[in-house]
Order: sequence, then C-alpha cells, then structure tokens
Amino acid sequence: MEDAQVVNLLVRRCIAGDAAAWEEIVRRYNRRIYNICYRFAGSGDDAEDLTQEVFIKMYRTLNSYDVGRGAFMTWVTTITRNLLVDHFRKSKQDRVTDSLDSVASEHEDAMPLSDQIEDKGPAPDARVRSLETGQTVHLALQKLSPELREAVILRDLQDMDYREIATVLKVPEGTVKSRINRGRAELARLLQRTYRQVM
Amino acid sequence: MPGETKNGMQCIEFDTLLSDALDQALTGARLEQFQAHARVCPTCGPLFAEAQAGKNWLKSLTEAEPPANLVHNILSDTVGIQSGRLRETEVAGRVPWTERVREWADTFMAPVVGVVRQPRFAMSFGMAFFSLSIALSVGGVKVSDLKQVDLRPSALRREYYTTTGKVQKYYENIRLVYEFESRVREFKKVATPAEPAPEEKDKTRRNDTSGQPEQRQERNYSQDVNQPQLASAPDDPTVVTVTTYRRDV
Repeated sequence: MEDAQVVNLLVRRCIAGDAAAWEEIVRRYNRRIYNICYRFAGSGDDAEDLTQEVFIKMYRTLNSYDVGRGAFMTWVTTITRNLLVDHFRKSKQDRVTDSLDSVASEHEDAMPLSDQIEDKGPAPDARVRSLETGQTVHLALQKLSPELREAVILRDLQDMDYREIATVLKVPEGTVKSRINRGRAELARLLQRTYRQVM
Repeated sequence: MPGETKNGMQCIEFDTLLSDALDQALTGARLEQFQAHARVCPTCGPLFAEAQAGKNWLKSLTEAEPPANLVHNILSDTVGIQSGRLRETEVAGRVPWTERVREWADTFMAPVVGVVRQPRFAMSFGMAFFSLSIALSVGGVKVSDLKQVDLRPSALRREYYTTTGKVQKYYENIRLVYEFESRVREFKKVATPAEPAPEEKDKTRRNDTSGQPEQRQERNYSQDVNQPQLASAPDDPTVVTVTTYRRDV
C-alpha cells in the first residue's frame, strides 16, 4: 500500500474515532511540523507551542480534509503556515529584507541590517567559536522576510515541490520560484558578510 | 536589467530558469544559454552564485530534534488529558476552578476529617471494614470477581434480561406449586368422610345454662395438683335470693 493510501486510511480511521490512528498521525508528522515551526519562529519553545497548536487545529478540522483536493501533507503544511502567519502577526516581528544593504525606512541614519546582525551579541571571533555553522545559518534565516523565509524553508528544508508550495502559499508557481531564489540569495549575502567580518 | 538581452537570453528569462538550473533540471542548448548569460551579465551572474551558495547553506542545516514530550503533550491536548503547557499557563495565570472547589470543600471537611482521624473512630472504622470484609468473604464475594465485572452497556443489558427471566420463572414455578397444593387439598376434602358438624358442639354449649366455664378452662397451668382450692363454686349451687330495701332519706 502506498504512503498516501496509508495516510488516507489513517485519516478515515481517525475521523471514525480511532485514537490509535490519531496517535500514528501525530508520530508521523510531529517532527516535520516542529521543524517547519522551529525554522520559521526561530525558538524551540515557540516551535513546540506552535506544533501543539497545529495538531489541535488539525484534530478539530480533520473532517474538512478532502482527499481529492490534495495530499494530506500539503493540507497539514497549509494549516502550519497559516498558524505561523498568525503567530508572526501577533509577535509583530516584521522584518524588511528586500535588501540587506537598505536601512529601515523610518531611521535613515540606522545601520544596514547586515551590520545590525553582527553588532548584536558577543564579538565575531567569539561567536564563530561558540556557534556552530548550523546555528549561524539558522539565525540568518530568521532575518529573512517571512515571505522569503517560508518559501526557502518549504523548498530547501522540507523538499516540497513548487506546485505544492504554490498551493500552500496560495501564490503562482512563478512567484514561488522567484521568492525561493531571492531568499537563497539574501541568505548567502547575509552569511558572506557575517563571515567576511569574522575573518 | 529585466529587459536586457545577453547571449540570446533576457534577464527576466534567466530569473525564471534560475530555480530549474539550481535543481539541475536544465539541459542542452537551454543550459548553455543560461550559463553564457550568467558569465556575462553583471547582475544575473552574482545572483546565480548567491542563490547557489544560499541553497548550499540551507542544505547544511540538519533536522532539529523535537522535544521528547512533544508527542505526549499533543496527545494530551487533543485526546483530552490536560497538557503540561496548558497547566503551566493556568498556574501562571490563575487558580483552576477545581482547586478553588477543593479549597472550599476543605473548609467544611477539615473538622470532620479531624474527628474521624481520632483513634477511637479509626478503630471503629477498622472494625467496620473488618466486619464488612468478613461478611463479603462469607457471602462468596471476591474483590477479583468485582474487578472482572463487565460494566459495558450491552453486558449490563444482558444481565438485566437474564435476571428478569429468572425472577419470572421463579414466580411461575411458585404459582404452579400453590395451584397443585390447593387442588390436592380439595381432593383430600372430597375423599375423606364428613366429620360431625361444628354446629352440634355449639348447640350443646348453648344448652348448658349453668354459667360455668368449660372444664378445660378451669385448668390453671401454674397451679399444683395438691394445692388446696381456696374457693370454688359448687356444681349445683343454691339459689340465694337477696332482697335489698332502699331506704329513702
């Protein structure tokens, strides 16, 4: 039996009230959803809370899942993304990363965003010693705008195809590709500047 | 930049194909055109390099390990048990209503509990428990049997119907026995010869105008046989006529 069929069967059993089926769904998807939340929100605690909220919402709206309208994973990711957007709006962590060299509009004398990143925390050499590369990339990822961040997370970390990402983000495939490319480039620029200053 | 054409490819077209190129989905002439454009275009060339570098950075990220209790908390939240996170929120925010009810009940129950915990009451409860357990064991009730009692609705319903059937059967059997007994009694009455009618005895009694009680009734079970009879009425008493005169004053 294919994976999609297994998942659909699990969903049907779960709707029928089978608690074991629901536990199987949770075990299958908790890691993936947690990682999406963690990479987007940046904090482990927030990711844990958001993952729980995703599953609560999923549990309440499982009846509304339509097999004919797409894969279960796409549906789950859409729920996750919507909650992440809500969380982002609530936390008001809006960031402008169209250009790392651009300054915040209301503070013209402020430093470029790439400089602000290095100025926070300990000295660069100490940071390089203390932080692993993965953590540095993770921090840089948090500096991307939410639109670019979610696109690169779904593509490069969750290996979703462009069509699925377009469904989740509710934008055309071309826009998805453009956002992914811009997100990757912004991230690379940010990290290059970081390491250049360290060197 | 978007409108510029270099090596037969516009920058906007390059941007569209960038994802496919990074996914290594471009082949043949299209790939050559793309690479040629990247070599000569001062904007698209660095963009391609940066996008490739960014992709490699992202690929270097390893999967984050979820907390060990995440699945448990999710199941607790969804299947009904209160999760640790919600409990923490409640503790941080306000006292849950169950705690308040418990505190309110404690104000009434604390004195009662204090009295009950005195040694004499504890002894009484111990004896009561001991008696109950003995009564249950004598009655054949075992705790292990109680644990195995099937309390499902279907089982309870079946048990109810079985018990009702037993009671009805018992009642029908008892009625049958009574009917048999009454019939047998009737047959006996018909089969045995008729005894003297009780009216004759009554008639004899009615003719006895002596006014004396029956001999049987004179018997005093507490009286000894040799005990002297202090007073007794003769069998044939003399009739004494007493005339009284009323003196008018």
